[in-house]
Amino acid sequence: MTYKVKIKLFLQGFIMINILWYILAILVNTRVLPTPIDVYLNLNSLYDNRLHIHILVSLYRVILGVGISLFLGVSIGLLMAYSKSWNKVLNPLVYFTYPIPKTALLPVAMLLFGLGDSSKVIIIVLILVFQVIIAVRDAVLNISQETYNPIRSLGASKIQIFRYITIPAILPAMLTNLRLSIGTALSILFFAEGYGTQLGIGYYILDAWTRIDYIGMYAGIVAISLFGFVLFVLIDILEEAVCKWKA
Amino acid sequence: MLDIENLSVSYKSNRNTVHAIGPITMAIESGDIIAMIGPSGCGKSTFLHVLSGIIKEYDGLVTLNGTGLNPKLHDIGFIPQNFGLLPWKNVEKNCLLSLKIKNKIIDSELIEKIDYIMNRLNIQDLKNRYPKELSGGQKQRASIARAFIMNPDLLLMDEPFSALDAITREEAQELFIDVWNQYKPTTIFVTHSIEEAIYMGKKIVIMSHCPGTIVKTIDNPLFNTENLRQNEEYLKLSSHIRTIIKKGWEV
Ligand SMILES: Nc1ncnc2c1ncn2[C@@H]1O[C@H](COP(=O)(O)OP(=O)(O)OP(=O)(O)O)[C@@H](O)[C@H]1O
Ligand SMILES: [Mg+2]
Repeated sequence: MTYKVKIKLFLQGFIMINILWYILAILVNTRVLPTPIDVYLNLNSLYDNRLHIHILVSLYRVILGVGISLFLGVSIGLLMAYSKSWNKVLNPLVYFTYPIPKTALLPVAMLLFGLGDSSKVIIIVLILVFQVIIAVRDAVLNISQETYNPIRSLGASKIQIFRYITIPAILPAMLTNLRLSIGTALSILFFAEGYGTQLGIGYYILDAWTRIDYIGMYAGIVAISLFGFVLFVLIDILEEAVCKWKA
Repeated sequence: MLDIENLSVSYKSNRNTVHAIGPITMAIESGDIIAMIGPSGCGKSTFLHVLSGIIKEYDGLVTLNGTGLNPKLHDIGFIPQNFGLLPWKNVEKNCLLSLKIKNKIIDSELIEKIDYIMNRLNIQDLKNRYPKELSGGQKQRASIARAFIMNPDLLLMDEPFSALDAITREEAQELFIDVWNQYKPTTIFVTHSIEEAIYMGKKIVIMSHCPGTIVKTIDNPLFNTENLRQNEEYLKLSSHIRTIIKKGWEV
């Protein structure tokens, strides 16, 4: 997709959502659902509320959580794909723990790791790491044997095979996974920033909610949406740069 | 010189063993070009996979220029049926892949050769395209360029022209022989077409049903003749081969 198409798509979506929101707000007509216009007029007061700092703190948590998940997930996923014995050991574990709703472990993480950033990041990692492991393992196993043939006939070493075949072949799946992971991590923020912190966009929204500052709450929601959108665009740009051959 | 002694290959899975090819014994002179023709499933691809170092478990002995066949020591150009271009590399990078893997230094002489071959195969303008953006014939020419650029000790091709339409195929065959005559790498190619075997094979090897063994080897007097298809001898040889095939392929 060209940037023009993407910008058009973004604007269309943005306008449609706002029209729907506006109509709904008029119909419902309650203080709980202000119109978008009220919210946008209020956006300039966000700076006074130090929203940018909340966003930076959340960004830090998301990047740390997603980064650790990717590092662990990719390592374990590769290990499982390349070593049958490791796969035998780890597969039951991954299979069994995958469907457990990890948010239920939040109290455990809090008790073990305190109320600070570490328990927040750990819960993000717990939720993300399994899907990364599975995605990486399956992406490697899905590379057909034929793909390796030409490079094998050149006498390539294991490292060369990894560099010239494995990495580029799994890269698209990895980026898709990164996208999903960031989306998930953003929504986990609400649980994770609901305790033990005065900072973070999740805290900001929950705090506005308890203060019955609905306009501020929606401003926070708009901010986190834009924040997520910016991250998605960055992945798009990354994808276009490293997966040109797919387009 | 490629020496193959009592080569035979079986595929083993948990339940059963498939004896795919052999035993095969043959000697191929350096600079020869061998056409292999045989029924579907007789083990032709398997044979090429052994010679290209993809299959490492086999019985028998294969030596190339005096040492045991080894893709790390020997330069082996392998053109699989699907051309084997890496989808994430553009034509130029695909062509240079063999040199990269072999850690060859790309000096000005080599660059000249690369340019020359790419020009000869008419893919100079396609340098920056990805395999996805190429036609079958273009992919094949890129694949042939990659093989010739590495100056192989042994060139292997698995039904290299079968994916092309009739006209493109004839052009591609002519072009291939043209370039081949210039470098004359020892070559083995697999084909289903008697015509292609006669046009491109100095020697023609006819295989039996699975597990494939050699039914007959024919020295081809018509190799490298122009206007082959109008030649009277061509019809004779082609019907001769047809008779051998009929006998050899009976179950
Ligand atoms: N990976 C495999 N595992 C088990 N058996 C296999 C495998 N690959 C091939 N075979 C069997 O080995 C035999 C030879 O297969 P091969 O692909 O070499 O035939 P071929 O002569 O190239 O056939 P075609 O002309 O159809 O390409 C066939 O009977 C096939 O079923
Ligand atoms: Mg085959």
